[in-house]
Amino acid sequence: MMKNCAKTATQESSAQKTLVRENSGASKAQKTVFLGMSGGVDSSVSAILLKNAGYKVVGCYMKNWSKDLPGMKCPWAEDLADAKRVATKLDLDFLIFDFEKAYKEKVVDYMIAEFKSGRTPNPDIMCNEEIKFKLFFEEALARGADFIATGHYAKSENGLLKLAKDENKDQTYFLYRISKEALKKTIFPLSDMKKPEVKAFAKENGLSNAYKKESMGVCFVGDVGMKDFLREYIDIKPGEIREIETEKVLGTHDGTVFYTLGQRHGLYVGGGLPYYVVKKDLEKNIVYVSNNLNEKNLWSKEIELENIFLRDAIEKTEQQGNNKKLDNNQESKSTEQASSPIKIRIRHRAPLIPAIFIPSESRVILQEEIKVPASGQSIVFYSGDVCLGGGIVK
Amino acid sequence: MIYLDHASATPVSKKVLERMLPYFSEKFFNPSAPYLSAKRVREDYESAKQTIANLVGAKGNDLVITSGATEANALAFTAVAPDNLETEQNLKNTLKSPKVLVLETEHASVLENAKKYAWDTIKVTKTGLIDLFDLKKKLSPEVELVSVSLANNELGTIQPLSEIAQILKEERLSRLKSGNPHQLLLHSDASQGLALLDINVSRLGVDLLTLNSAKISGPKGVGALYVGHGVRLNPLVLGGGQERNLRSGTENIPGVIGFAAACEQLKNPASLAKKYKKLSDILKSELENSKIPPFFLGDKKSKLSNFLPLCFPGLDAERIIYKLEEREIYLSTGAACAASKGKPSHVLRAIGLSPEEIAGSLRISLGVLNTEENVREAGKALVEVVNHECERISRS
Repeated sequence: MMKNCAKTATQESSAQKTLVRENSGASKAQKTVFLGMSGGVDSSVSAILLKNAGYKVVGCYMKNWSKDLPGMKCPWAEDLADAKRVATKLDLDFLIFDFEKAYKEKVVDYMIAEFKSGRTPNPDIMCNEEIKFKLFFEEALARGADFIATGHYAKSENGLLKLAKDENKDQTYFLYRISKEALKKTIFPLSDMKKPEVKAFAKENGLSNAYKKESMGVCFVGDVGMKDFLREYIDIKPGEIREIETEKVLGTHDGTVFYTLGQRHGLYVGGGLPYYVVKKDLEKNIVYVSNNLNEKNLWSKEIELENIFLRDAIEKTEQQGNNKKLDNNQESKSTEQASSPIKIRIRHRAPLIPAIFIPSESRVILQEEIKVPASGQSIVFYSGDVCLGGGIVK
Repeated sequence: MIYLDHASATPVSKKVLERMLPYFSEKFFNPSAPYLSAKRVREDYESAKQTIANLVGAKGNDLVITSGATEANALAFTAVAPDNLETEQNLKNTLKSPKVLVLETEHASVLENAKKYAWDTIKVTKTGLIDLFDLKKKLSPEVELVSVSLANNELGTIQPLSEIAQILKEERLSRLKSGNPHQLLLHSDASQGLALLDINVSRLGVDLLTLNSAKISGPKGVGALYVGHGVRLNPLVLGGGQERNLRSGTENIPGVIGFAAACEQLKNPASLAKKYKKLSDILKSELENSKIPPFFLGDKKSKLSNFLPLCFPGLDAERIIYKLEEREIYLSTGAACAASKGKPSHVLRAIGLSPEEIAGSLRISLGVLNTEENVREAGKALVEVVNHECERISRS
């Protein structure tokens, strides 16, 4: 008991290790973990792992959205039932957190505003930052949690956000903006498991029929869903799709907000070489396309960012990486460093590519040209297996 | 598997299925086709309709076959002229727009249709019985349709339809005297009472009666609306004019053959009731061993004998269902369709249960798949799960 009380913040920060440590079943007071559950295989397996490690696990369902859209149904009630079913089978207490209002304000409104201004936002990143690792985290602690946990593929180690063992499933791209405080008290039970192992584990533990298919994060995200959703909120006018080189009209679009720079599918301009969206003129309501893969709008070596979020990890890793260069007194200024060689990821599951980050210019510079990510999307920074933060494409 | 949810669905019996099968294959003809083979199918269809109609003491022609009780309920409401229909005649007579009255515990398929009109609900007592005083109070001169289900689908409470019909009859007489031209019709959804109750339309005194094949071991997707003489409906489905112009579309031959076969198989209601009473008693005596004693919902005197709605106050009924599901024992909370929407039951709210009590409420509905042995086993399992949940709660 005394040991526990004396535990320092840094010790607790290695929540990941705790998962293993408490496995010994020592007679310490049982720690409580509030686990976000979706009814999917990942959070379900996380529950078993935490339970086996000796935690008191409380299954939590976050109700973020319950609006039914015309012609489609957000299956939140079924999701809730699925999560509760698994929690019940594992004998966990189960709580529902109603974040609908906050989700609307923090995630949905942001998303709509971004789309309205012609950008392509990532609501999942916003949801993690504002809801799961902020509101849920705060409320869980207030209700007696020592830690929170989610079924994300990511690693929390010594206050650092790191890549999951399963690099193919790694979800740090969606987590780069979560608060440092929350991360310190977050357990990602799947950090060292590969998806096939998770599936096999679920089967071994009799959960093969309990969980539903892969959960999608935001229920209405998905091509068809997003269109219907935006129509409810944004005045959308159909317009022309033109070839940028010739101004020739190739087809019609449903509304510029539906199109993203670099997009190739769903243009219906027919036949021949594939066309790419290379520009959107919001005022004239025109989507410009090109079938020239070398079109200048498609490629760049530089990406300008805004709303940059740097984890304190950037200091630590730079210290590790550039020990010789760093003066001891300079620690706090490290983010002001002229430039940092890092690796970046421009979308979930995209390969890590080398880049230089210039903080003073909010810019990353790449070694080679890449297809430009759409504005509103996130660029996430890494050094080795550590996620350093990232920013949003201007 | 032990199935305790016969109010949700029933298995199609082998005999019923065998009767249906030929109409999918060798007797596949469109009954409206001109050749003899098709005409034979027509005859079989009409004869099956008559078999169903026998159940309610009517002629086959009085029935409109539908895709189930939901459609039959919707069709029943078309007997009321839409409130925005301001015909010249209506304006001349300064006729007020028609109104409908429905019991507050009605199924969504009734409530949602009522909402299309000027509408009001009739209150129920704590056992779910209609408050006849409230009915009289709300039976204003412009009410054209009163819809009260024969037996509630969550509680099994049986409504005194003939008493309701009597009240309506008196109102009709007084309207006749006062020259009020509004019609006044009584509709009842009899989905839940088919196997156990007298559903003779004359004795019940109804003008419209909804029937459902799926609850009596007939196929799903088949229902019927009995339409009394002189009742005028507006078809929901237009086309070739089948079902006396009230429901177009090629007839669901196998479905209706199956529905009729299921009707033929119905056992003597009195002996069935006796069987269910015995099974209920076995369950109840098993439940005496649970750490939290349940209380039973619905009306003791006027209740379908196969219904056992109950509440474990303080417990979470959904958890009990998931725990029992692991043992392949199936029961439900309230109506299956309401539960899947994640909304608390309006029926249980109407009879005055608190949110906590609603959360702890289960519906057991017995039927063809139940025996003394499996009901006893289910009772024991339910007690184990309830006691287990009590322990979990006391730990946390």
